[in-house]
Amino acid sequence: MRLRIVTAAAVLLCLVRIASAHRLDEYLQATIISVDKDHIQASMRMIPGIAVSSSVIASIDSNGDGIISDAEQRAYAERVLGDLSLTVDGKRMQPKLVSVDFPQVELMREGLGEIHIEFTADLPHGGPNRRLILQNNHQKQNAAYLVNCLVPRYPDIRIVGQTRNERQSFYQLDYVQAGGPTSSPLRQWWTNIRGSISALGFVSLFRLGMRHIAEGTDHLLFLLVLLLPAPLIVVGSRWAGLADMRSSVLRILKIVTAFTVGHSITLALAAFGVVRVPGRPIEVLIAVSILVSAIHALRPIFPGKEAGIAAFFGLIHGLAFAATLSELGLGRWDRVADILAFNLGIETMQMIVVAVTMPSLLLMSRTRAYPVLRIGGALFAGLASVGWIADRLLGMHRSVDLVVGAVARHAVWIAGALFLISLACWRLRYTFVRQATPTARFVGDSAEPVEI
Amino acid sequence: MTDRESSVNLFPIRMLRTNAAVAAIWLSLITVSAQTTTARIVRAANTFLSTLTEKQRQSVLFAFDDEQQRARWSNLPTGFIPRGGISLKEMNPTQRSAAMALVAAALSPKGFEKVQQIMEGDEVLRKTDTGPGGPPGGNRGNRPPPGGKGPPPGAGNRPPMGDGQMFGKDLYYISILGTPSEKTPWMLQFGGHHLALNITIAGERGILTPTLTGAQPALYTFDGKTVRPLGPESDKGFALLQALDDKQRKQAILSYQLADLVLGPGQDGKTIVPEGLKASEMTEHQRAMLLDVISEWAGIIHESAATARMAQLKADINETWFAWSGPTTVALGKNITAYYRIQGPHLVIEYAPQTLGGDPGLHVHTMYRDPTNDYGKGLLKQ
Repeated sequence: MRLRIVTAAAVLLCLVRIASAHRLDEYLQATIISVDKDHIQASMRMIPGIAVSSSVIASIDSNGDGIISDAEQRAYAERVLGDLSLTVDGKRMQPKLVSVDFPQVELMREGLGEIHIEFTADLPHGGPNRRLILQNNHQKQNAAYLVNCLVPRYPDIRIVGQTRNERQSFYQLDYVQAGGPTSSPLRQWWTNIRGSISALGFVSLFRLGMRHIAEGTDHLLFLLVLLLPAPLIVVGSRWAGLADMRSSVLRILKIVTAFTVGHSITLALAAFGVVRVPGRPIEVLIAVSILVSAIHALRPIFPGKEAGIAAFFGLIHGLAFAATLSELGLGRWDRVADILAFNLGIETMQMIVVAVTMPSLLLMSRTRAYPVLRIGGALFAGLASVGWIADRLLGMHRSVDLVVGAVARHAVWIAGALFLISLACWRLRYTFVRQATPTARFVGDSAEPVEI
Repeated sequence: MTDRESSVNLFPIRMLRTNAAVAAIWLSLITVSAQTTTARIVRAANTFLSTLTEKQRQSVLFAFDDEQQRARWSNLPTGFIPRGGISLKEMNPTQRSAAMALVAAALSPKGFEKVQQIMEGDEVLRKTDTGPGGPPGGNRGNRPPPGGKGPPPGAGNRPPMGDGQMFGKDLYYISILGTPSEKTPWMLQFGGHHLALNITIAGERGILTPTLTGAQPALYTFDGKTVRPLGPESDKGFALLQALDDKQRKQAILSYQLADLVLGPGQDGKTIVPEGLKASEMTEHQRAMLLDVISEWAGIIHESAATARMAQLKADINETWFAWSGPTTVALGKNITAYYRIQGPHLVIEYAPQTLGGDPGLHVHTMYRDPTNDYGKGLLKQ
């Protein structure tokens, strides 16, 4: 039986057998590009499948002598390069053949031979934002294309995006290249800023900053808890008095500004490479900062020094922001604009949060319900921070994140409810106070001991 | 001698014998448990080498830094791309079982089972393959070994193209680079069609990269049971895709086709720009699933090396990417027909179904790499 098939349909069987292991009717063309400062290099692996190999071999072996000579190899490689369309920043580039390497003809016939072609292309002078487009039209009717880019060897080349059509016959590579060696440092700096702004987008980094602080509940929690006792003054060793409206607002502004200054300093220092601190200790310290401010909200431990504490812990929070930036590959000194955008995003979101919560805080502080909010908030933050410290020290799973995350997800509703409650308390307080203790009307201007 | 005397004499002797036996068992237990995995692998390697003839030993042994032999692996059948070392086919039963014992010592039980299933699959392929082959022994050794820049030519004593046998579970080759040692680094290679294990042993460290696994048929029946050598890779990858929400899927699913491995044989040390969904954008549960997918490759090597490797990959997890290309559905009990890639600072995994005429789910190539540590070079440089 087996012998009969062999003699009867050898060719067909060969195809069937080969089908078990080999590429069939496709011509695989895999290109890997590597971007250098002033040129690109590319290597192509070309494997004609068994059903197309004969026609490919025939087209390479132009004199039909069954041998692929060096001249025929080079001629074929040049033809492949001729079928490529390579543009950089819209300018057409000429690929230059570096080397070509052919497998045995027999191996190619079996659909196993790999032709290797290496080429380079010089890059034209241009701005920092570069766009390379490679289109491969070689044997388009039966080609299966693959195109990829190596991670650049030079740190000043940063890949921003890769776009392909479904077949990968079209490949677009967007990257940012820090200024050339000829430009002055100042000019280079400016080019970088301009490049970063338009390339990654000032807006997108600004948004990233906003998102980071909005999602980084620990940063906000620290700030909010520190603000909790801001409308109060210390009597003895307790939060017992009410500060007047003007000094409350001033104190809140001072705390927020101090925090901002603190984290901006370390964010910049870390991004400039002046300081470098491992992530985990920072994460633990951030949790400690929340614990400290939570304790302070319960019992004053550093009355009048809130701004200083905010600035000090701000320094630590800034290091965490820097870690986020460097995770994104942006934490380098030549990305000043990126850092600026990111920081402004953080600031804006911080301002929004403070602006939303401050009225509730100030209103509520004028009522007897305020200790409930202050102590409740401080306890929540304190518990969360202890959980975080344990999590981050021991690397346990993030149960605290889940709880705090669930609360944070409903932050808008909570803030709204808080405002309504504080309004209600304010109204009730007025009627209630008028009936019970008329003297309390002067509460806004002079300290009145409030029971805790 | 009285009865009493004899019993007095006999009793201590019997006691002594029992005690000695118990002590021997305990001692051997203690030595076995105290023996490190590397020591066991070295012993298995030396046992294997001692079963070989001098000529076979010469074929099996290479210099540790033999770059050509290191890279002499492929997904292709051994008839086309000759491997170094000697095949199971060229061994007698004792040698063969010593060779397999060595491979088993270097792998986890699960990893060894995977390897056996891949080899068994090739046996199924041999039986179902209708290939005629050439005249038996006809042109053996007559053709020059294939050249090309891919895997370099072999020693020339293997069946070249057109030889009778193309597939089968005995066409797997074993080679040893360097001298098996508990201290100085050495390498064990085992592979053939759809299999290339490159195991570097450096003291107690074990490095499995680069390693290629593949299967065709990737689903077959053996002893009445359905076998999918790379089934868990398919199932776990698909489960992770399913666990993603719409936004994550949008990032993970690439908009283009991938016909083959990007970093297959001959592509050592290359790091491509990662794509897809970054694990830092995943939930803790999804990240655990991703690690579980990775463990299908990282867990092929013996447990202590796998544990160290998984710890490294877990530390990298937030910098690890998951990308998918192709169908997002799969028939129950079948393999996915989509490509996926997992890439991190020390990791590239590719799962690439092959569209060679039939069902792509029946023919799979996978690649497991650490671009920073091919053949343990990164580790040894430190």
